[in-house]
Amino acid sequence: MLRKYRFEILVIIAILAFCILFLYTSSVIGHAGFAGSDDVGSSQISKITGIPEENFHPLIWQWVPPSAEIESALFALQAALGGIIVGWIFGYWKGLKDQGKG
Amino acid sequence: MHIMEGFLPWQWCLIWWLVALPCLALGVYQLKKVLAQDREALPLLGICGGFVFILSSLKLPSVTGSCSHPTGTGLSSIFFGPWITSVIGVIVLLFQALFLAHGGLSTLGANTVSMGIAGPLAGWCIYRGLRDTKVSMFITVFLACAFADLFTYVVTSLELALAYPAQVGGVGSSFVVFMGIFAVTQVPLAILESVILVLVFKYIVQLRPGILIRLKVFPETTIMATRSDA
Repeated sequence: MLRKYRFEILVIIAILAFCILFLYTSSVIGHAGFAGSDDVGSSQISKITGIPEENFHPLIWQWVPPSAEIESALFALQAALGGIIVGWIFGYWKGLKDQGKG
Repeated sequence: MHIMEGFLPWQWCLIWWLVALPCLALGVYQLKKVLAQDREALPLLGICGGFVFILSSLKLPSVTGSCSHPTGTGLSSIFFGPWITSVIGVIVLLFQALFLAHGGLSTLGANTVSMGIAGPLAGWCIYRGLRDTKVSMFITVFLACAFADLFTYVVTSLELALAYPAQVGGVGSSFVVFMGIFAVTQVPLAILESVILVLVFKYIVQLRPGILIRLKVFPETTIMATRSDA
């Protein structure tokens, strides 16, 4: 039984370990802001060049989500699109297997 | 790993686009060939693309006190190779550039090179190096996925270091700084991503081993032995 589900158990352990590490880090590193590494990278470019971040302008016009809420909704939509595709295909494959076409 | 729109000089944008375009063209060519040979590869491609969509949308906190996202490109590079993976990568990156202001059209070439080409290429090299050895199939998948993720961020660091060398220490010094920001944050996320993708791989082996055998992902004997064991 344990052997059969060893990968599922491993994933649960990895997720739990990840959560514990996150809680530990957030309590130990007082200044941890958990900013996105992309944003931290952009700040570093600003530091290297000495040019303030707001002075970097898009080379090609870009639509920007009007608020952080809309941005997070669009990120959720992206994940949902992926989830629908993955779920549909695994369901289709499971159906084929159950019909003996696997 | 997304280099934001406007944060890369146009000369570097052009260079990375020139690197990315031939790889994408090769990817489209290979994709057509694979799908013409075996239509069952299409759902597998959908699974790979779906996971890149899911995982690259998740901004997860890391132990370093910053957040980043997995890439999810490892599975695709194992099943289809780095060039077809570059096509999946550019579709996801284009979606993010257009609708999320994450990355940009001018930096799409550079982001495609890191997430769609270099990372998957590293993962594919690990996979090819271990495929015909005694190393377990699942450990091979784990390592390939982890390196595909990590190397993406190494290349992003290199792209930024080349464009913005430090005044003291030049490209090397700048590379170390960007590695500290991107790659270190990524280590725990790459491990978590890879464990999850190994589980996904197990389900694919259980449900559709035939397509993996036809694509010669692993030897038939290994896949069938693992299928009955898993």
